[in-house]
Amino acid sequence: MQYVLSFMKAWSRLLLLCAFLSVPAASFAQAATKPKAAAPAAAPAPAAAAPAAAAPPSTEAAPAADAATAEAAAPSAPDAASPPPDTRGLDQEVQGLKKDVVDLNRELFVLEEELLFPANTQVAVFVSMDVGDFFALDSVTLKIDQKEVINYLYTPREVEALLKGGVHRLYLGNLKVGKHELVAFFSGKGPNDRDYKRGATLKFEKGIGAKYLELKINDRQRKQQPEFEVKDWE
Amino acid sequence: MADTSYPLKAHEAPDFALHAIAGGNVRLSEHRGDVVILSFWGSRCTPCREQLEALNRTLATYRSAGLQVYGINVDDDQTRALAYAHGESVTFPLLLDPEKSVSRSYQVDNLPMTLLIDRNGVVRNVIRDYNAKSEELFLQQLRALLNE
Repeated sequence: MQYVLSFMKAWSRLLLLCAFLSVPAASFAQAATKPKAAAPAAAPAPAAAAPAAAAPPSTEAAPAADAATAEAAAPSAPDAASPPPDTRGLDQEVQGLKKDVVDLNRELFVLEEELLFPANTQVAVFVSMDVGDFFALDSVTLKIDQKEVINYLYTPREVEALLKGGVHRLYLGNLKVGKHELVAFFSGKGPNDRDYKRGATLKFEKGIGAKYLELKINDRQRKQQPEFEVKDWE
Repeated sequence: MADTSYPLKAHEAPDFALHAIAGGNVRLSEHRGDVVILSFWGSRCTPCREQLEALNRTLATYRSAGLQVYGINVDDDQTRALAYAHGESVTFPLLLDPEKSVSRSYQVDNLPMTLLIDRNGVVRNVIRDYNAKSEELFLQQLRALLNE
C-alpha cells in the first residue's frame, strides 16, 4: 500500500512538472519570436525612405520627408540595435526542470521494480564469464522448476562486454518461499570451434529475502574445457 | 506501396534477437542511431529475392551514411533459406525466425514486407509489395531518413 501511495505521489509530481514545463516552453517561444516581431516594424523604414530618395533634392518637401523617415526609423532603431532578450535564465530553468523529470523517472522505475518484484519473492539470475578461451557463448536457456523462463541470445557485443567483466541480469522474477530447482543450458562454440551445449543445475531454498543467483562460465585450464557453475549469493 | 494502415507505423519497433545464417546473433536495439531496413522474405517468393538484391545495392550505396539492412527469413523449412543464403551474394545478415515470433510481433501479412526504421527506433514506413515504382518511393523515404 505504501508503495502504491508513493508511486501515485511520484506520478502526480511528474505530471505537475510536465504542466510546468509547458509554461516556460511557451514563454521561451515568445521570447524567441520577439526579434522576428521587431523586423516588420523596421521594414517600413526603407520603404518610407524610398520616396524621399525619389523626391527632388531641392524641394521643401524633402526635409519633411526626411523628418518623417527619421521618425519612422527612430522607434525601430533601438529595437534593431538592442541585444536579443536574455534567455539564459529561462534556459537554465528548463534544464533544471528536465533534470527533475529524469530524477522522477528514475524514482518511478525503482518504485515499479519494487512493486512488481517485492523483496520477499524476488529472484534474480545473473550471467558472468571469465576468459572465454574455450567457449564462445551463443545463448542461455533458463528453467526454474521445470518451466522455461527465458531463452536469451547473446550478440557479439554482449559477449565482449561479459568478457570485459560485465555481469548481465538474465532474469528477474518472483518465487514463493520454499525449495526450487534451477537448470541453465549454455550453448555456443566449444574447443576446436565445435558446437557445444552444457547444462548446470542448482537446487536452492528461497527464504524471505531476495534471492540472487549467478551463472558463471569459467575456463578450466587443466581439462582445456569450459566450466559452468551456478552460484548462490547468500 | 507505402501503407498507412500498418498498426506499428509511428510506434517503436519491437526489439528482437535472432540467429544469423552466417553465425552470431543480431539484436535490433543495438542499432539505435542507424537507419534500419527489415525485409521479411521467403525462399519460395520470387519478388522477395529481387528485393533482397535491390536492398543489397542500396546498402552498398548508403552503408557509410549509417544504414543497416537485415533480411528475416520466415520459411518453415530452414534448409531452403540456408541454400539460398549460400548461393546468393547478399552482403547483409540474413536472420532466421523459425518460431515466427518476430514475424508475429511485426504483424507480417505479406511477402516481401519491408520496414523502414529511423535512428530513434521508430517504424516510419512499410512496403508490402515490391516493384520499380515502390522502390523509387522507398529510396526517397530512405534518403530523407538518412538526412534526419
